[in-house]
Amino acid sequence: MELSHRERISQLVEELTTSGQSQLHQENMKDLKKLCKVSNECIEHVYHSLMSQLNQEHAQIRLSAFQISSELFARSHHFRTLLVDNFQEFLELTVETDSDLPLPPPKEVARKLRALSIQTVQSWQTSFGSSYKKLALGYHFLKQVKKVDFQDVEARTVAERRREEERRRKMETIYRDRVEAASKDMEDSCQEIEVTLTEMESCMKLLFPDFSLENIQTGNGSSLDDGQPCCSKDLRDGEEQGNKHGRRKERKSERAGGSNAGGEKDKQEEEEEEEEEEEEESTDDNLFIRHSGLVSHTYSLDLKLSPDLHVTETEDNEAVVSTVIDLHKLITTKHLPAVQSWIQVFTRSGAEQPLLRRALDLKQSLESTLQKHKELHIDYKGRAPPEGKAGEEEEDDEDFEEVPEKEGYEPCIPEHLRMEYGLDPSPSTSAAAVPKRPVAPTPPPFYSSSSSSALSRRMRRLIEEEQDPTSAAATLSHLKKQISVLSECSTSPSAIAGPSSSQSSSAHKPVDAPVVPFGLDLYYWGKEQPNAGKIIKATSQHQFWVPTEVEEEVENHELLAESKSRYISFPGTFTPVSHFCKAPLANGTLCQRQDRHKCPFHGPIVPRDQDGRPCLNEDRVREERRKREQQPDWRDVELMRDIEAATGEDLGSERAFGKKGKRKKKKKKYPNLSDLKQSSNTSRSRLERKVFNKSSMRRAADVMKQSDRRKHDKFSNQFNYALN
Amino acid sequence: MLGFLTARQAGLDDPLRLRRAESTRRVLGLTLNPDRDVDRIHANGVNAIDIDAIEGRYMLSGGADGVIVVYDLENYSGKPQYTCRAVCTVGRSSRYVHKFSVETVQWYPYDTGMFVSSSFDKTMKVWDTETLKPAEVFEFEDTVYSHHLSPIARKHSLVAVGTKSPKIQLCDLKSGSKIHVLQGHRGEVLSVRWSPRYEHILASASADSMVKVWDVRRAAGSLFTLDQHNGDKSKAASEAVNTAHNGRVNGLCFTGDGLHLLTTGTDDRMRLWNSGTGENTLVNYGKVCNDSRKRLQFTVSRGCSPEFVFVPCGSSVAVYALHTGEMITLLRGHYNNVDCCEFHPDYQELYSGGKDCNILAWIPVLREADLDQDSNGENKGAAGQTSLNSAFQDAWSSDED
Repeated sequence: MELSHRERISQLVEELTTSGQSQLHQENMKDLKKLCKVSNECIEHVYHSLMSQLNQEHAQIRLSAFQISSELFARSHHFRTLLVDNFQEFLELTVETDSDLPLPPPKEVARKLRALSIQTVQSWQTSFGSSYKKLALGYHFLKQVKKVDFQDVEARTVAERRREEERRRKMETIYRDRVEAASKDMEDSCQEIEVTLTEMESCMKLLFPDFSLENIQTGNGSSLDDGQPCCSKDLRDGEEQGNKHGRRKERKSERAGGSNAGGEKDKQEEEEEEEEEEEEESTDDNLFIRHSGLVSHTYSLDLKLSPDLHVTETEDNEAVVSTVIDLHKLITTKHLPAVQSWIQVFTRSGAEQPLLRRALDLKQSLESTLQKHKELHIDYKGRAPPEGKAGEEEEDDEDFEEVPEKEGYEPCIPEHLRMEYGLDPSPSTSAAAVPKRPVAPTPPPFYSSSSSSALSRRMRRLIEEEQDPTSAAATLSHLKKQISVLSECSTSPSAIAGPSSSQSSSAHKPVDAPVVPFGLDLYYWGKEQPNAGKIIKATSQHQFWVPTEVEEEVENHELLAESKSRYISFPGTFTPVSHFCKAPLANGTLCQRQDRHKCPFHGPIVPRDQDGRPCLNEDRVREERRKREQQPDWRDVELMRDIEAATGEDLGSERAFGKKGKRKKKKKKYPNLSDLKQSSNTSRSRLERKVFNKSSMRRAADVMKQSDRRKHDKFSNQFNYALN
Repeated sequence: MLGFLTARQAGLDDPLRLRRAESTRRVLGLTLNPDRDVDRIHANGVNAIDIDAIEGRYMLSGGADGVIVVYDLENYSGKPQYTCRAVCTVGRSSRYVHKFSVETVQWYPYDTGMFVSSSFDKTMKVWDTETLKPAEVFEFEDTVYSHHLSPIARKHSLVAVGTKSPKIQLCDLKSGSKIHVLQGHRGEVLSVRWSPRYEHILASASADSMVKVWDVRRAAGSLFTLDQHNGDKSKAASEAVNTAHNGRVNGLCFTGDGLHLLTTGTDDRMRLWNSGTGENTLVNYGKVCNDSRKRLQFTVSRGCSPEFVFVPCGSSVAVYALHTGEMITLLRGHYNNVDCCEFHPDYQELYSGGKDCNILAWIPVLREADLDQDSNGENKGAAGQTSLNSAFQDAWSSDED
C-alpha cells in the first residue's frame, strides 16, 4: 500500500470521527470507501485506525467510528473478519458490555451510540450470523447473559428496565396515597368550605343587598323597604334623626355606592336628595308641592352610577365587616390553597372525574366569592391595612412575620417608649445636635404635662434617678445642664451650631448653614484666649530632688494659631457624569465608561459620533498618531515576516497579527466535538477547587489546631478539660 | 506432510514421529470453527468440563447453577457441520441436583458408567450415568473446591477432596467413607491432583500460596513443598515457609507424562516444576491474567512434540509452549472470563467453558480447506462449492466507483 493512501485514510478517518455530527459526512465517506476498495491492506489500516478512534474517551468520536465501521462491515468481508476477531473489545467499546468500562460522556451521545450499536448488532446477526461464528456468539452473549432485549427501542438491559418499572410503581403508590389523602381531606373540609361560603355570601348580602342595577331602576320605595336587610335598616335608622326622608335617603345611598359615609353628610348630598324626592313623587302634584316645596315636575336629573361599589365601615356594620374580613382571610389562606393542592394532586395522578370536578367546583365558587368581595371595595376604616386588604395583596406577604425591632440601634423610637430609653419625649433630629427646646436646669416642666398617669409615674422615677449620680439619666441631665450653660456663655448668635439658633430652628430652619463640631475657637468666640499657645509645665513638688530650672511657660506660635483657626472645607455638590467615553472597542461596541475627564483606557474624553469617531478633526488626528506610536515600526507585520523568513527565527509576527483567533484555534484541537471538560466547570467543581485547595485546607487545619492548642494551654492542668 | 508420509512408508521414521508432527500441526491450527457447536444448556457460567478417557466421546460439564450435562462429542453424521448434543442432563428439576454451583466434575477413569461431582453445597456426589442418580453422597463441613480421582490407580480408588478447610480429605469409593486426612496447609485447598505417573502421589494447591506434594501412604506429612526460589533464602523475603506463588494458588496440572507440574496463581504467574524433585524450572510464561477466587482448570496437550499448555487468561485461552514459555496464540472467543478448558487428546480439539455460559469447541483447521482456498483463489469467479460463503463476498455498491 502506498504511503499516500495510508495518510489519506488516516486523515479521512480522523476528519470523519471528529466532526461531532450525528451523521457521517457523505463525501468523505465515499472517498474512504473508494480507498478501501483498493486493497485489503487499506482495509486493515482503516480497521486499526477505527479501533484506535473507538478507544477514545469521547462518545461522539466513538459514535462516528462505529458508524463508519458499520458501513464497512456491510461491504467488506475482510473488514468483517477483522472486526469479528476482536468482537469482544468492539462490544465493550460500543455496547458497554463491561460495567467497569462505561461509555464515555457526553451522556446523550453515549445513549444513542448504545441503542444504535445494539440495533446494528442485531441486523448483522440476521445477515451474517450464520457465517461468522463469533458474531453469533456475541449476539447470544448479549441476548442471554446481558439480557438485552433487541425489540426494545431503548435497548435497555434487564436491570435498567426493572429499575424503571420499580420507579413507576413507586410513583403510582405515592400518587394513590396522595389522592386518597386528598379526597379524604376534601370530604372533611367540604362542609366547612360550604359553611364559609354561605356565611360570606350572607355577610356580603347584609353589607350590600344586591349587586344588580335592575332593582334600582324598576323597584319603588315601598317594595324596597320591605325587603330591607337589617344592616341597611340600621343605617337608615341612624340617619333618620337628621333626615325626615329616610326612605329615599336610603335608596340614594344605595345608588351612590360609596357615599354611605356614616353620619356625616355634606351639602351636596342634601341637594341630591331633594332632587330625587322631586322625581319620585311626580304623580301627586299637590302632595308633592306640599311636601317638597318644588313647583315644577320637569326637572331633569342626572344620576351618576359609579360602576364600582364602595362600602365603608361604620360602627353599625362593624361586626359584619369584621366577620367578612375573617372569612376572607380564612378563604384566601386556608381553603383556596387547599383546594388548589387537591386539584393539583388529582390532575397529576389522573384521578376519577367526579373528584376532580367537585374540586374544580369548589374552587370556582371560592374564587367567585373572592371576586365579589373585591368588587365590594369595602373600606376598612381604622383597621390594619394588611389585614383588610388581604384580598388585593399577595398571600406571600403573610409569610413574613412582623418582628418588632429590639435591642441596639433603633431608627425611630415610638413616643411612649422614649421615656424608657432615657430620651426626651420629643424626637431630636440628630444625636450630636443640641436639643431643640430650651433645657431648663431643673427637671423640665413638660415631663409633668404628659397625660397618662403611668407615664407620669415613670417620669417621677426618672427624676428620682437623676438624683443618683451613677445612673445614666443623671449623666444625661448633667450633660444637658452643661450645654445650657455653654449656650448662655456664647454671646454671639452665630449660625454655626449655636444653641440659641437651634432654639428657634423649629420655626425657620436655616437650610444651608453648615454644622461644625464644637471647638475651642467657638468656646472663646470673640474673646482673648487666656492660655492659648502656651505650654505650661508644672513645677516639681518633690522635697529633695529639685530639677534644674525650667521655664514654666513656653510660648508656641503654632499652637496659638491652631487654637485660633478652624478648617472648613467646601466640597461643592456632586453631579453625576452623564456622558460616556464612547471610544470604539475591539469587539465592535463603544466604551461605556463614565469618567468625568479622562478614560483610563482611551485618554481624554472628546465628543464622538455614534460610530465612536471623534467629531473634531484635531482629535481624530491625535488618535491616529497615538495608534501609530503604539507600535514601533520594526513591529510592522510585513517586515517581521520578511525577517522571519530570512532568519528562520520566530519574532512573533503571528502573534502580532491575529492575536486571539489563532491561539483559540490552537488550543482546541477538534472544535466540532463537544467539550468534555466544559461540563466539569460547574459551580460545584469551582467551589471544590476553592474549598479543597491544599493551602486553604492547611490554613483551616492550622486555625483549628491553634484553637485546640489554646484550649489545651489553658486547661491542661485540669484533666476533665484536657481529655476532650 | 508428504515427506513424513514417504519416510513412514519407507520405514525410516518411528510411527510416533508422524503422529507427533501431525498432532502438533493440528494444535497449532486450532480455531473457533463454525462447523462445531456445543448445545447451549447452561444458563449460568460453566465451571468445569471433563472428557472421558475411555472412548473420548462423552464430555461432562458442571455449571454455576448446579446443572451437570453430558455431551456426545462424536460426529457420526459424515458432514463437517455438527452440533454436540446433550445426551443427558441433571437439570434444576432433578431432585438430586446440586443445590449450589458445581465446582468439579470428573468421569470415573475406567468407565463412563460413573462420574463424580463436587459442589459448593458441601457435598460430593458419585453418580450412576444410566439412572442419573447419585450412588453415593459424601458430605463435608465446608464448601468443596475441587476433587480428583487418580487416572491410573489400580491399587486404590481414592478421591482427594480439597475444601475450604485446610485439611485434604481422602474418600474411598470402595467403602464409601472418608478414610484419611492430610494436614499441612494453612489456607483453603483450591485444587488437588493425582500424579499420572505414580498412583500414590498427590499434589495440592492452597490459598496460603503453598503447593505440597504428598505420598498418601505416608501419613505424617507432605513429601515436600514447592519453593519458587529453589531454596535461595536471599530472595525468600524472611519467610520461613516455602511458597510457590505470591498469591493464592488456584490451578494445578501435571503434564501428560507426570514428570512436570504446572501451577497458576493470582500473582498472574504460571510456573513449571519438576514433580520429582520439586524444583522450579524457571520457565517464564509472562503474565497470565488470573483473578479467579476459585479453582482454575487448565490443561496440557498430549502427543505433540513440543507440548502446549492451554490456560484461561481473562476472556481468552492462551496457548504456550510448555518448555520454552513462548506464547503461541490467544484463542479469543468467549465474552466473559474463561474458567475451564479441556484438551481432547485423540482429535486435538480443545473445549473451553466460561462465565458467558458458552462451551466453545476449538477445532483444528483442516488441511483440505487450505487446498480449497488455493483453488478458490485461482478461479474466484466460479461459484465452486462456496455456497455458504455468500456472506464472505464483498458487497461494494456500484455508486462508489
